[in-house]
Amino acid sequence: MGYYTVFLPAVIENQVHWHRLTPDDLADKSLEWGLGHIRASEPIKGFFFSPREKVASFPEKFEPEDQKKRILFGVKACDLSALKVQQKMFLEGNFRDPFYDARLKNTILIAADCSEPEDTCFCNLMGNKPYATEGADMTLSVLGEGYLFEVMTGRGNELIDLGGDAFGPVTDAQVARRDENHKAAVDKLNRINPRSWNPDLAKAIEGKIQDEAFWRRHAESCVECYGCLLACPTCFCFLLYDEAKQTGVERTKVWDACYMAAYARVGGGANPKAEFLKRFMNRFFCKFVHFKNEHGFYACTGCGRCIKGCMGKIDIRKVLAEL
Amino acid sequence: MSNPYQPFKAKILNISDETPNIRTFVLEPEQEVRFLAGQFVELTVPGFGEAPFTPSSFQFERDRIEITIMKVGRATTALFKLGAGDMVGIRGPYGNPYPLNKFEGKEIFIVGGGVGLAPLRALFLALAHEINKYKKIYLRYGARSPKDIVYKKLIPEWKKMKGVDLDLSVDVGDETWKGKVGVVTILLKEIPCDLKNSVAVVCGPPVMMKFVTRRLLEIGFPDDMIYLSMEKNMSCGLGQCGHCRLGPYFTCKDGPVLTWDQIKDIKDPF
Repeated sequence: MGYYTVFLPAVIENQVHWHRLTPDDLADKSLEWGLGHIRASEPIKGFFFSPREKVASFPEKFEPEDQKKRILFGVKACDLSALKVQQKMFLEGNFRDPFYDARLKNTILIAADCSEPEDTCFCNLMGNKPYATEGADMTLSVLGEGYLFEVMTGRGNELIDLGGDAFGPVTDAQVARRDENHKAAVDKLNRINPRSWNPDLAKAIEGKIQDEAFWRRHAESCVECYGCLLACPTCFCFLLYDEAKQTGVERTKVWDACYMAAYARVGGGANPKAEFLKRFMNRFFCKFVHFKNEHGFYACTGCGRCIKGCMGKIDIRKVLAEL
Repeated sequence: MSNPYQPFKAKILNISDETPNIRTFVLEPEQEVRFLAGQFVELTVPGFGEAPFTPSSFQFERDRIEITIMKVGRATTALFKLGAGDMVGIRGPYGNPYPLNKFEGKEIFIVGGGVGLAPLRALFLALAHEINKYKKIYLRYGARSPKDIVYKKLIPEWKKMKGVDLDLSVDVGDETWKGKVGVVTILLKEIPCDLKNSVAVVCGPPVMMKFVTRRLLEIGFPDDMIYLSMEKNMSCGLGQCGHCRLGPYFTCKDGPVLTWDQIKDIKDPF
């Protein structure tokens, strides 16, 4: 199997963050792991679609380097389903992103149940579950006396084999406990989000295309910080920019966001999305209309990061519920 | 796996002035750019960035390609400072070519405005190469003034070609100008095509495309027979980065040429 860098969710100042495991951490009793908490503040997209990376150079060519092997331990189901959106863009279109591909191939994904959904969570409304059913190599449930692992891929099987005596057989009672926990999390989500919304969000949003007042009302408190888009696990927009270095030109790919004023501007200055309202609407049309129509599912997982991070207190659930 | 963000080298062989702010660059790419008329490339101006351009040369001449470029922004301003022998980067081609097989047997009504004639030249050359396959080629071109006309030396030759009907106008004439004066739509007052068997192809500034489309519809061109160059901010060219979004499309992947039928339901498509 070789050496792997392991990332785990840790609770730091009451927030869950991804943390790179070091040998010292194992002895550090003060570090609180966040396996039973909700998803980390950072989406896992950054592990594959880097927030900033060199992708080309000129005149010397730049080719993707070998990626380090990693284990992401404790990924939540909402983030796993967001990976499907990103893979559609970076691996399944006309062109494959070799950087994304190499990172994904070299990463083992171990999911963990989401047992304590918070009031910003709405995965249930997006058709997701608070526990993983696919998309990881294996998934774990935190039970009182240990962890219940369920293998999902051959790679997951290898890990179990490597673990040897650390793993024992599962009892029916443990499976029943896990299923009860699953149900309790689902029930909690249903209490947080008791109402459903229009089952065809794509059609409902398209129906609002001319209703500027509707969009204006919901965009009113936006301060255009685009934090919602950077925190979004599905947002895939990026910008390529070139810099002259001593060795030549270096091309960098950075996360971008459609809320930025210059997002659609072309050479010479014309800007088809100069008005913020058009960019605000773009977010909803992109995630719920165009992505759904093209790929068959919404580019939103209900992780709630955009709600939690919004300075203008815009709740995407409210926008969708009022369609 | 190949790296789609990586350009390869192309040497500038020659640069010629078309107008005070438009030049044609002849490039010799280090590997073939197998473009078909209507597809575009991403051109790297070393140190200044990358921008999309549609080649204007004949699609099957692959060892050198010509691109006609207007100086409008940061990358093109830097490009205009380069000379013959300098190196630029290129990647592509991207997007979809004009569906020439669908044009066969038809009259092709081409309308260009300003530097918009550049991509149309690649189309024109492809059509002219097999001119017997098409019933007739009409070319209508408008520029701001006589000195803003691109391909000044080529246009008289095109005019002489059998099967080609060409007409020009300028918004503002001068003492040398003997042709028509007025925006390009004055050339569309009468359209001699058989509308049951014609396609229209338009490329130019957004406002020109809007009015030309309006006129073509008025005269009876079917929605799906009007081909429009809908380039937006095609930054990556790969259908990934999101910037060229136009309604349900990424213009780099689904375009850059789209029919009116494809875009008519989009709010403010131009």
